[in-house]
Amino acid sequence: MTGFRIANGGLIDRSTNLTFKFDGKSFKGHQGDTLASALIASGVHLMGRSFKYHRPRGVISAGASEPNALVELREGPRKEANTRATMVELYDGLIATSQNRWPSLENDFLAINSLASSIFVAGFYYKTFMWPKTFWEKIYEPLIRKAAGLGTASKEADPDTYEKSYAHCDLLVIGSGPSGLMAARTAARSGARVILADEGSALGGSLLFENEEIDGTNGLSFAQTIIAELASLPNVTLMPRTTIFGWFDGNIFGGLERVNDHVAVPPAFEPRQRYWRIHAKRAVLAAGAEERPLVFGGNDVPGVMLASAMRHYANRYGAAAGKSIAVFTNNNSARRTVGDMKDHGINIAAVIDTRKNGKIINVKGGKGVKSIDLSDGSHFECDAVAMSGGWSPIVNLMCHRGAKPIWNEIIAAFMPPDVGPQFRAIGSASGKMLLSECLNSGIVAGTLKGKTPPTPKCKDEAFAIQPFWWVKESTSKAFIDYQNDATAKDLPLANREGYGHVELAKRYTTTGMATDQGKLGNVNAIAILAEAAGKSISEMGTTTFRPMYTPVSFGAFAGPFTGHHFQPVRKTPLHDWAIEQGAVFVETGLWMRSSWFPKAGEDWLASASREVKATRAGVGLCDVSTLGKIDIQGKDAGAFLDKIYCNTFSTLAIGKARYGLMLREDGVVFDDGTTSRLADDHYLMTTTTANAARVMSHIEFCHQALWPELDVQYVSVTEQWAQMAIAGPKSRATLQKLVDGLTLNDETTPYLAAKDITILGGLTARLFRISFSGEHAYELAVPADHGNMVARAIMQAGQEFEIVPYGVEALSMMRIEKGHVAGGELNGTTTAGDLGLGKMMSTKKDFIGRMMATREGMVDPARQCVVGIRPVDRTMKIRSGGHLLKQSDRPSMANDQGYICSVAWSPMLDMWLGLALLSNGRARHGEVVKVFDGLRGHHYLAEICDPVHFDPENRRLHA
Amino acid sequence: MHRVSSLQTIAIQGRFGADKGAPGVTLSVVHPLAIAMVIARNGKSKALKDALASLKSVNVLWAGPDQYYVQSAAKSEAALYTELKTKLANIASVTDQSHGRITIRISGPKARAVLAKGTPIDLYTDEFPVGKSALTQMAHVGVHITRTGKDEFTLSVFRGFSESFWEWLTSQAAEFGYQVS
Repeated sequence: MTGFRIANGGLIDRSTNLTFKFDGKSFKGHQGDTLASALIASGVHLMGRSFKYHRPRGVISAGASEPNALVELREGPRKEANTRATMVELYDGLIATSQNRWPSLENDFLAINSLASSIFVAGFYYKTFMWPKTFWEKIYEPLIRKAAGLGTASKEADPDTYEKSYAHCDLLVIGSGPSGLMAARTAARSGARVILADEGSALGGSLLFENEEIDGTNGLSFAQTIIAELASLPNVTLMPRTTIFGWFDGNIFGGLERVNDHVAVPPAFEPRQRYWRIHAKRAVLAAGAEERPLVFGGNDVPGVMLASAMRHYANRYGAAAGKSIAVFTNNNSARRTVGDMKDHGINIAAVIDTRKNGKIINVKGGKGVKSIDLSDGSHFECDAVAMSGGWSPIVNLMCHRGAKPIWNEIIAAFMPPDVGPQFRAIGSASGKMLLSECLNSGIVAGTLKGKTPPTPKCKDEAFAIQPFWWVKESTSKAFIDYQNDATAKDLPLANREGYGHVELAKRYTTTGMATDQGKLGNVNAIAILAEAAGKSISEMGTTTFRPMYTPVSFGAFAGPFTGHHFQPVRKTPLHDWAIEQGAVFVETGLWMRSSWFPKAGEDWLASASREVKATRAGVGLCDVSTLGKIDIQGKDAGAFLDKIYCNTFSTLAIGKARYGLMLREDGVVFDDGTTSRLADDHYLMTTTTANAARVMSHIEFCHQALWPELDVQYVSVTEQWAQMAIAGPKSRATLQKLVDGLTLNDETTPYLAAKDITILGGLTARLFRISFSGEHAYELAVPADHGNMVARAIMQAGQEFEIVPYGVEALSMMRIEKGHVAGGELNGTTTAGDLGLGKMMSTKKDFIGRMMATREGMVDPARQCVVGIRPVDRTMKIRSGGHLLKQSDRPSMANDQGYICSVAWSPMLDMWLGLALLSNGRARHGEVVKVFDGLRGHHYLAEICDPVHFDPENRRLHA
Repeated sequence: MHRVSSLQTIAIQGRFGADKGAPGVTLSVVHPLAIAMVIARNGKSKALKDALASLKSVNVLWAGPDQYYVQSAAKSEAALYTELKTKLANIASVTDQSHGRITIRISGPKARAVLAKGTPIDLYTDEFPVGKSALTQMAHVGVHITRTGKDEFTLSVFRGFSESFWEWLTSQAAEFGYQVS
């Protein structure tokens, strides 16, 4: 043995030399090491400082349950805090830093907390709330905030990618130890689709480090033979480095695959981690059992570790925890550690078995074990202590949906609950303590059909345990929960202070919290709490198990959906044309809409104002493709629309469009738009951009659930058509140049005409004479692939009229000038009457919302209804959100009578104006009101007027 | 008239992503394509199935209860629409969707692995055989998926999402290496 590296054996490649840094100091390790094993082999046990007392801490376990050896892995944007050194595969150039210490791991200033430990007893955090009151904000809170937390996160963006993926199988096997391998092989041989997942870097589970004999060969080669067979089968997926972290409804499991955590930088095009959602017809939990620590003085001194971890390090990694060790146990399994250490030539200083010869009272040593004091007064020198307090089946996943584990006296452990045949525990995860039982339970669970194959022969080691929870004679601190610095004394204290329920004690003492969630300490804590409370362990029960089994990075959950990939982008068929025209885009839901088209030096207001003026003087072109379009067909299409809309559509003439208003069931306005009749049994509905999907769902619900007898079919055609508004006095002359064989005039194409035409020599198109701007206007729809081409053609045709493209800002200005309601007014609180559209509600038929729309409160004359509003000082800018008060009222919300919902600069009237909702507003045109804008801290006077600010006679529309 | 796909300047031909020998998948935009949605009128489910079975040189893909996409690469969208309108009169409602959807073909040994990053549907051959279609969601986008071969699928999405979807699809295919043809 050189230093603490055992000369032979194990699964490390001694021909490789990997250099890594821990706290700035350089070390060497081998391929196959973990960060923890390489440090142990280098004689380093001190890997961190504890949370509260900043006590020196070393590695306790060799796996996922590690509470102490948490490091910051990597540097810069790839830095990851609270990484378990026991799970970090060593790679060349690895950089790790210890946490929770200042200025250094060796000399930590806050270790002084340990001297003040009487202040930091259980519940100290809550007690700071109590007294003195003034201390909380100024003293306790800043101090606690500074001291709280372990590692620090990088504030730089993560340069790596993360993925999500789905998987499906007949049998998911969680854990690849002897039971899991048997289950996977048995199921795979019968042709089932099998996924075998294991959190470890290599498959094999306990067979990677325990000395076993199966089928006449050693356990490791037995495992390797099976793994090779499984790898060769097309129906088997092997998933090492994959933690199954949660069990969810539908037998769906969450998994985290650490695809490239074992290298410094992931290879090009590969993710760092992949989040799996596995749909399993059946699953078996073969996660094994967790060894428990014993609770005795100094059980946290670096060098004290689980007995199984000690042989794991020695047998798998060739790393010796010490040169002379003591073994402390209450069960048979620690015998393996004694035997294995002797085989490696390591001295056994003492074996202390609570069932025979006493207890360790105290471990002596600060940053490393020096000696132990026993209950019989004897004293032994040693440099490491192996402890075994028994075994807890790793039941977590089976309890994620609410079932509680069940206490078993014989093996002194909580057993997994029976959650039904779709998810079963096998092997030591089900409390089987003999290898033969494990192998057998795997084979039985893997037999999905046919006869159960025979179980391989193996050598069993008898298991027996006598529960032992706490060496009460200890004079130094005996820890239950290492990560939270909870000691054995904290639990009786919690019970004395009224927090004896297991869930309360957890919060009071912080036992079982933080990154390890009490994987090692919880059972000891429950037993000690039960004793203090005078209850049995079974009566005390466990706290609640919840996903995640081990921490999962946010990056894995986010997957590739970060930055501008957070949500998909939806582009209109005129997007390229809009870019050519210099559009500035605005996100509207997922859509990118052209917002304004600035010329050099123009801001949005100048640009939109110019667009409005040019459109009203000549002609403008606007992309309105985002409006929802629903094709509605069938013999009952008209009757169906009569139920959906509050006004009537069955009487609409073929070739005509009509403005429609739909209400919600509660009588409030839901959506509006024009709907055209293309044939006797064929309508085309348009919706607002925002409600397109909602209206489609509404229609589906109404047909499928309310009136399935109606013969009506509907499908979204929003994306099929590029749609453009061509508005302004020169719109007809512009369009005339494109249209095939049709003279546009009030006879062929009157207001509200809707017709199929062809343009540009045979291209299918639909022409609607409708207007949102108040101008003589059309909407032209062409199949989407032709959208850019047609828009360019219109621009060319309109050149002589100085045509402009206009965006949603200009559109909004024009609709507010015209008093047309939109999102600000259709805001989920307004009735048709409020919007001035009350007459649209048919009295001759039933429709959705009819009943509720007639209730007292819905027809109250005092309701707020749509009015126009202009500042008395015409030079003033007004903003939406301001509340309307009587002119003489004090500026206060107590006098609220309504509010401004939409405002715009009016290029035509040369002032800011808007639409507002005002109580009994229609009777108040001409009244001067006080606008109270509490948000911006001012108030001013404004005049209430008709909502139609511009061209109230609608002359331009019919020009 | 020449149709311009929304992916015309996006789906550039060539070899991309990891270089590990043969590409894991090949992607191509199926364009131009004539597509019509047909939905059975009340009580005409069987009549529609029979009528669809008698159509020539079209693909009929399930797209929901009593709903089908009828596709043709050979016919113009107007020809397909007119033919269906005539043959399915009083049996089904017909709506032209040729321009509303973009269809992408994905093939190759890693096709399933790429798609598994997006869809919760089990694409295992026994569960999802050739000719089967489903409506699903990938990368927050609604997708109509059809298996067209052992390792070949077509994916159809709303035109407006096609660029976003293409970005996602190619990024997920990159680890296997992909060919755009």
